[in-house]
Amino acid sequence: MNISPLNVVLLVIIGLLAVGIYGLLITRNLIKIVLVLQILVKSAMLALVLAGKVGNNLGLGQSLAATVIVADTVVAVVGLALAVQVRRRFGTLDVADISTLRG
Amino acid sequence: MAGTLSVLLIGLPWLGALLVWLSGDARPKILHILAVGTSVSAGLLSLILLAFAGSQPAVNFKFGGWFGDFTLVADGLGATLAAVACVVGSLAVIYSVDYMQGEAQLRRYYAFILLFIGAMTGLVLSGNLFFTFFFWEITALCSYALISYYNDDPKAVSGGMKALIITQVGGVGLLAGALAAFSNLGSFQIADLLKGATSIPAGLLAFIAYGFLLAAAAKSAQFPFHTWLPDAMEAPTPVSALIHAATMVNAGVYLLARFYPAFAQVPGWTLAVTLVGMLSALTAGLMALTATDLKRALAYSTVSQLGYMVYAIGVGGVFASQFHLLNHAVFKALLFLSAGAVIHSVGTRDMRKMGGLGSKMPFIRNVFIIGALALAGVPIFNGFWSKEFILEAGLKQGPVWAFGFMLFGAGLTAFYTIRMTWLVFYGQPREQLHVHDSGLAMKISTGLLATGALTTWLLAGPLSGLMSGSLPYHAIEPISTINLVMDVLTGAGTWLALIILLVGAGLWVVVQRSPNPIPQAHWFTELMGTFHEELVSSSFGFEWLNQQVVAAVKKSAAVLQKTQTGELNWNILGIIIALLAVLVMLFWGV
Amino acid sequence: MDAIRFTWMFAIPLLSSPAIYLAGRLGIHNPNQKGRPNLVRILALLAVIATWVPYIAAVRTFLSGERLEFAVESIWLRADAISLLLALMVLSLGTLVVIFSWSYMADEVGEEKFYAMLLAMMGLMIGLGCASDLFNLWVWFEGMAVSSYLLVAFYREQPASLEAGVKYLVQSATGSVLVLMGIALVLANSGSLDLAALHQNGARWASDHRLVSLAAAGLFIIGFGVKAALVPLHTWLPDAHSQAPSGIRAMLSGVVIEAGLIAMLRALSAIMHPLDWRIILLSFGALNMVFGNLVALRQTILKRMLAYSSLSHIGYILLGIGVSLFAGGEAAAQGAMFHLFTHMLMKGLAFLAAGALIYALYLQNGSHHALLVSDLAGTAQKYPMVALSLSIAVLGLGGLPPLAGFMSKWQIFVGGFSTQNGWIIALMVFMALNSVLSLGYYAPLVNLMYRKTPSDAILAGKPLPSTITLPLIFLAMAVVVLGLAPGLMDWLTAPAAKALLGLFGN
Repeated sequence: MNISPLNVVLLVIIGLLAVGIYGLLITRNLIKIVLVLQILVKSAMLALVLAGKVGNNLGLGQSLAATVIVADTVVAVVGLALAVQVRRRFGTLDVADISTLRG
Repeated sequence: MAGTLSVLLIGLPWLGALLVWLSGDARPKILHILAVGTSVSAGLLSLILLAFAGSQPAVNFKFGGWFGDFTLVADGLGATLAAVACVVGSLAVIYSVDYMQGEAQLRRYYAFILLFIGAMTGLVLSGNLFFTFFFWEITALCSYALISYYNDDPKAVSGGMKALIITQVGGVGLLAGALAAFSNLGSFQIADLLKGATSIPAGLLAFIAYGFLLAAAAKSAQFPFHTWLPDAMEAPTPVSALIHAATMVNAGVYLLARFYPAFAQVPGWTLAVTLVGMLSALTAGLMALTATDLKRALAYSTVSQLGYMVYAIGVGGVFASQFHLLNHAVFKALLFLSAGAVIHSVGTRDMRKMGGLGSKMPFIRNVFIIGALALAGVPIFNGFWSKEFILEAGLKQGPVWAFGFMLFGAGLTAFYTIRMTWLVFYGQPREQLHVHDSGLAMKISTGLLATGALTTWLLAGPLSGLMSGSLPYHAIEPISTINLVMDVLTGAGTWLALIILLVGAGLWVVVQRSPNPIPQAHWFTELMGTFHEELVSSSFGFEWLNQQVVAAVKKSAAVLQKTQTGELNWNILGIIIALLAVLVMLFWGV
Repeated sequence: MDAIRFTWMFAIPLLSSPAIYLAGRLGIHNPNQKGRPNLVRILALLAVIATWVPYIAAVRTFLSGERLEFAVESIWLRADAISLLLALMVLSLGTLVVIFSWSYMADEVGEEKFYAMLLAMMGLMIGLGCASDLFNLWVWFEGMAVSSYLLVAFYREQPASLEAGVKYLVQSATGSVLVLMGIALVLANSGSLDLAALHQNGARWASDHRLVSLAAAGLFIIGFGVKAALVPLHTWLPDAHSQAPSGIRAMLSGVVIEAGLIAMLRALSAIMHPLDWRIILLSFGALNMVFGNLVALRQTILKRMLAYSSLSHIGYILLGIGVSLFAGGEAAAQGAMFHLFTHMLMKGLAFLAAGALIYALYLQNGSHHALLVSDLAGTAQKYPMVALSLSIAVLGLGGLPPLAGFMSKWQIFVGGFSTQNGWIIALMVFMALNSVLSLGYYAPLVNLMYRKTPSDAILAGKPLPSTITLPLIFLAMAVVVLGLAPGLMDWLTAPAAKALLGLFGN
């Protein structure tokens, strides 16, 4: 495996993905969880651009990434709005503390 | 004509059920009239249908792709059982006018009884396995709803649940068998299965045969599924008489009889049927011996008598089993309804508290005794002829050891029947019970059934003619009533059975005469008490088995419930693990 | 007919969504003026009714054999039988939910948001069914997800519904990232995302890049599986289903998770060779059935019990689809499609009936208390219609005749047994036993409702308005009618099954 720019991008994607998944598994602060989700989505976005490049359809890949930015912003906004409400109702952002529904 | 009648037999009770439900609980009188009207007219029509019975489909229309044709065949087997269902059904409904007087939520009661009558007719008339299963499940639903009718009583609720789950587990056997047959024959028609059975691969045919046996055993409360029927006795008594004695529990016997020609060649199947019947007859007989609850005693005896029918099919006596089925339906419904009259009057089901009731309700005593004599198999009552006919068949075609056990069972029957009758109607009153005589409706229906218990055996000739003429695959020899009587009277089995019966009856006299009459400390009661506690109360260990299964299910549910921790990180972990598992499965090629 | 016309199916709800929101915001809706017709509700009702017009037109075109397709640049929208089935489910339940919510949501703050989001979600789901491009599929899917987050967390004053919303959002977003990764893999190796183009040559690209395509399949199964509530990805579902407003609960359970399933199947069709992943579908089916049924046995809150029962029904549907893909034959796939529809009717009915009780017993008394199973005691005394329809719903879900659920399960069984494959038959027997097990929690509910002594909650209950009972009656009748005449849906389920198998080239 030679070190070509594409491989570097691939490594970055995998790295971001790993960070994101790890973050989701250990983070308990709601704001941080939204951030970690952003990291995950960024990795997916890079993956789409890279896929466009590899699949000889760079334009498609880029437009997909642009769409993901929009969709992902909406999710982030909703997530943060929920975080605000959670802080108001519970006085905390720790997801472990707000967990009442189980079983 | 047969077509119209068959459709009416299902449609009329169902229409009645709908009307009953729609008319609400406010005016019970309308409910009584509607229920009696529709069920009695169905009963009369079912008798007319007997005249039009034939092996050709009476109704046949295309229902849709995966369901086959909707076919009704009013052949000897179907029409007879439909008549039993409708006639006993109408008598039970008439009886309910008195018995259920003043109960709340009467429409729920009548609607389900009428739904049941229609479904039962559909079940026996259906010529399509899908619809057999369809009606089979509806009868289970009705049985559940009616057992749990007094649903403020936890015993009624759990009894209903148990009956539902056990019969449904059995129903899986019918479902699997029917679909296995379809996968090979490409048709749900029962006639096609009977005709094409020889072309089905042996393994598949065995799968179907044993599946049906499982379904039949569960529905007819046969060994090892016999535990649900006694608990079903929480239902109002007319329901016990109709569903849990005279009709629904016969569905299993019907199923075996219907498919006997197809499965008789399956290795071990007839032996298995014989064994199931024999074990049920014996164990239930023993349990009836020690029961103290009048209805439970009758329920055990139902299991035992159904065991006789199953045994008869096992040894190839299809007609004998159906003959006994008819007779049993009449005398057992009679016994239940007259027992219901007693219970309704004294307000308890505990036989230890009764005693000496005969002089206070002479009519009920008389009809009960007629039923009891028929159950015990005393000559000229209908139960005698069919039971002896079964034993004849068993002696001629079945294994000798099974015959021996069945003979012993006949003695048991005589013994527990006399015990039951004695405890209720004779001896000294053991507790001060307020007794009132039964109402007119109760007397009409029990009186009619008592007449039946004395006379239905005369129908043996026409019945066998009907069945041999309309069941092309069963090879039933027509036999006239006179010949049947002669057969029975000259058979060795009959005389053996009568001797055993006398021994059984004599044993009761000995027990009864010895000092310290029942129920206080008495050697026999003590013996039976120990026996009861050790074996009978647990239905010979099968109750324990049931409970183990239920406990295991509940335990695993509790364990699984713990996996829902409600914590977000844990939930994400679930996603990641599932992803890894799926990728591993994909790459390593499952 | 003009091909573009079918797109009004999703255009009308999507366009009316902001209109409703604006109408509400601009103060036309004034909660203080009691008795005045409420424009928000009327608009919502008009919008759903108007949506039926293009739907019926589309169905007529479809039945006449014409293709329904429309392209913006290179992005194709195609309505096949599966799209029409999904649209029918969305529209039927959506219409009834709008009627149901007429009184149910009347006193809520932000009623206009509720209807706007509901209609948006409906439009997005109908659009999702028509997407025939992987990325387009994702966009509709994400849109549907976002609108449903907002609906789940609608009672933002309630801590529990916030909690449910947070979990739903995070898990769903994780799934959606996995889907994007899968899409990237497909794009990188095939250079295209159009499903029709990917199908050409029997998805040659996938057999050329076997490992990559398998990885993409795994990502699609898990990514969409979060929304379709496969066990163990289901953990959000009991929470979300028990916290959302009643009408939304019915939509979530009756249509949204099914839409997730359909999206998953569409995406998987890009990879074609089902040989490798069909066993995964069957295993998830078995797992869902047994997990859902067992855990439902232990629930004391009615809505959570129904939510777990949805898991088991997704399992039945997956089995039907898996069996058809495994061994060919349309019976099981058609059964699964039919079960999608009947489950929508029955579960929708169950959730709406439960909602009616919540409204009468708690919301009207100013409480957000959860409806306990024990509260049901004696329902029939006071709310005979609700008791009857909830009984019909749960008995149908348990698979008792003569109700719709019996018929659709039977079709799945027919398909399974027709394969004559020992393993499949064992699975089918397992499914039948599961169905019996489910009666262990459904049947007692019915019993409880017909008890003679009502619970305290029932005694304190308020009367129900007719807008709430009307949808119940309608759904209950549909469940009974389909139970007596299951052939009524063949016109749609049969082509849908064909289309499903067509997606995978058999």
